[in-house]
Amino acid sequence: MGKKLFKTLAALTLVAAMLVGCGAPAADPTKTPGGNGTPTNSASDPAKNQDQPGNDQPAKTVDLSLGIWPEDTLTADIEIYKGYVATMKNLHPEVNCIPAYYKYATDTFMPMVEAKTVPTIFETWFTEPKKLIANGAVADITDVLKSRGWLDNMNPSIRELLSDDNGRIYGVPRDGYALGLMLNVELFEEAGLVDKDGYPLYPTSMQDLAEKAKIIKEKTGAAGLCLLAKNEAGGWHFSNIAWNFGATELCKDNLDGTFTSNLATPEAIKAMEFVKSLKWDYDVLTADPTNEDWGTGFMQLGTGAAAMYIGANDAVAQPTQVNGLPVDKLAMCGIPAAEGCRPYSLFGGTPYMFSKESTPEQIAAALDFLEVIGKAPLATDDAIAGMKADAQSRVNNGVPVIASFPCWTAKDFLDAQDAIVKEYSNVDAKMFNAYFDATKNNGLHPEEPGLTQDMYAELTKVLQEVLTNKNADVAALMRQANENYQKILDNGFKK
Amino acid sequence: MLPSLALFAFYVWEPLFENVRLSLHNSVRYEVLDFVGLENYRRVLANPDFLAAFKNTFSYTVWSLLIGFLVPIFLGIIISETVHLKGFFRTGIYFPNIVPGIATIWIWNYFFTPGATGVLNILIGKLGLPAFEWLNNTHYTIPLIVVTMTWKSAGSTALIYMANISAISPDLYEAATIDGAGIWQRIRHITLPSIFSLGKTLMILQIIAVFQILYEPMVLKNGGPNNASISLMMLQYRYAFRDFDFSGGAALSVMVCIILIILSGIYMKLTSGKEEKAV
Repeated sequence: MGKKLFKTLAALTLVAAMLVGCGAPAADPTKTPGGNGTPTNSASDPAKNQDQPGNDQPAKTVDLSLGIWPEDTLTADIEIYKGYVATMKNLHPEVNCIPAYYKYATDTFMPMVEAKTVPTIFETWFTEPKKLIANGAVADITDVLKSRGWLDNMNPSIRELLSDDNGRIYGVPRDGYALGLMLNVELFEEAGLVDKDGYPLYPTSMQDLAEKAKIIKEKTGAAGLCLLAKNEAGGWHFSNIAWNFGATELCKDNLDGTFTSNLATPEAIKAMEFVKSLKWDYDVLTADPTNEDWGTGFMQLGTGAAAMYIGANDAVAQPTQVNGLPVDKLAMCGIPAAEGCRPYSLFGGTPYMFSKESTPEQIAAALDFLEVIGKAPLATDDAIAGMKADAQSRVNNGVPVIASFPCWTAKDFLDAQDAIVKEYSNVDAKMFNAYFDATKNNGLHPEEPGLTQDMYAELTKVLQEVLTNKNADVAALMRQANENYQKILDNGFKK
Repeated sequence: MLPSLALFAFYVWEPLFENVRLSLHNSVRYEVLDFVGLENYRRVLANPDFLAAFKNTFSYTVWSLLIGFLVPIFLGIIISETVHLKGFFRTGIYFPNIVPGIATIWIWNYFFTPGATGVLNILIGKLGLPAFEWLNNTHYTIPLIVVTMTWKSAGSTALIYMANISAISPDLYEAATIDGAGIWQRIRHITLPSIFSLGKTLMILQIIAVFQILYEPMVLKNGGPNNASISLMMLQYRYAFRDFDFSGGAALSVMVCIILIILSGIYMKLTSGKEEKAV
């Protein structure tokens, strides 16, 4: 009897548990956000509000949680943001700004989406928008951007990055960037690689890069170049190196929903051979490139452990403010090309995106906030004040105030940006001329199409092998990577 | 009984069945969409990294048995036989266990750094030996990771063995000593048979735990160089948390579960005869 009762109870509990799991129907992930406001938003249903008696009441509060709030340790930045909030309060008294610092991470984001705790606006990485859009994890903001006239002002490459296949937009750019070569001027000086005016003699070709890196290693003991090979960032940087060896199409979009991997071209193999030579022939890399990622690369450069590193204009705070390199000891140039090849710079943008739970009012409030901080394509007095506050903060923190790449095309906005850079400039522009000249003259090359992260992962595996195995067969490894990547593409884009 | 059953169902059965269900469906985020049969399993098996992860996971298990299984037994017996400073040694071997796992990995990372700045290379340099590549030499990547795991966790396992050894009747040792048995004979004929049953349980627990190795290779080498240290759980983590492909991750976790059930069954079958013999 006891056993029978136990079995019955166990079975019932199991069935109940399974029913709990099967209970809620799956929501349509492609559905655009509508009136499903967060519990804290009392203005989630404007239609309902219209039916309320006494419509002359003050507008209901809109809670705006700001994932883009500075982290706790950045007290100076927090003060600036408090100023933004005060401006916001004047302009939009109904908006209640809530600091909600969130550093995007792939392992925390989806649980937050399910728990509906994603801040209204947050910043993510350049690699993420397509994934987040495909997973229905972010809000479609096309209509509100259109109504504000922002849509036509967005740089087309960045717009593509933030769009789905139907052209709907899910984010706005914070900054545009183009990859270049960051130089630690102190090490160049120590190695005697400066001209008569003291400006660093930046490398003009891949061969020149290797030779200058060798001189630096010999004369200073520091690595000539920090190359990444720990994670996908290694493949990301390598794709730019490969373009500069002539492998300009690592993944071909067949325009029929399929893609073709091109990782084993002679040019791409030559680029990988060059990387291998940096380790085994020139010996100019840091002790263990397979342990270097985006953050450690800046640490090596900023602390004087490496003289050169592939980086972008939007990350100049990393070697300086974060890792202590004096603001006047950072220079930048374009990534050089191999003999006879055209140099390219990988161009992209860092996006702001919005919680899928956000109401239209919350999204509007978030865009208002972007206007206040000067990240919208507007040149209003408040936006200019926001840009100036940001520039002043950079000056105070020893971060170079340099031009950014145009993620918006509105002329008055770009003019205002240029004027502020000139007004607050805290560096010798000649230290960055080579970079801006190169990126103007070079082809700005967007990321490869297809499953780019998987391509980077395959390239990183090859990088790791050639950097740890002197006898690695580069051509065979690239063929294997090509085969693997094609398999992934075929699996991911089945017709 | 009902509260226990309810808790068990909610925290164990429901996630387990939900995971199996997820592995048989398309999904967006954690939401189950269409039934796709074994398609997710086929995709996982076709993943270019699957084979390397599969082989490596078995390699971790074998190396952990070779290195990690015997060390705690050895420590447990040696400290049990120690007369003086037993408490000191007990605390000493347990100490690595209280260091957070990630901190342990970072400590070892500094030891294993190749080139002139790695701690081990500095030490062997003092002996006039050339610098070694350590984890970057793919022949040694997995064994060295297993060494770090053993350093961290052998102490706690040794304490369990010591508790078991302390429960052995002293009469047995006294009788053996009177009969002229030395320390090795006492260990061989009394201690080892007495801890056999415990060792069997701990071995299968170790296999199950090591088969699910994740953060050690992830933090130390991110699965590299060139997949030399990637494990099945790392691959699963990438499915779920890098690519947000939760169905693929679920399919792989079900596969790991099935492999472990099979391994446990084989192990129990192989050792059941020996236990009877030992008893």
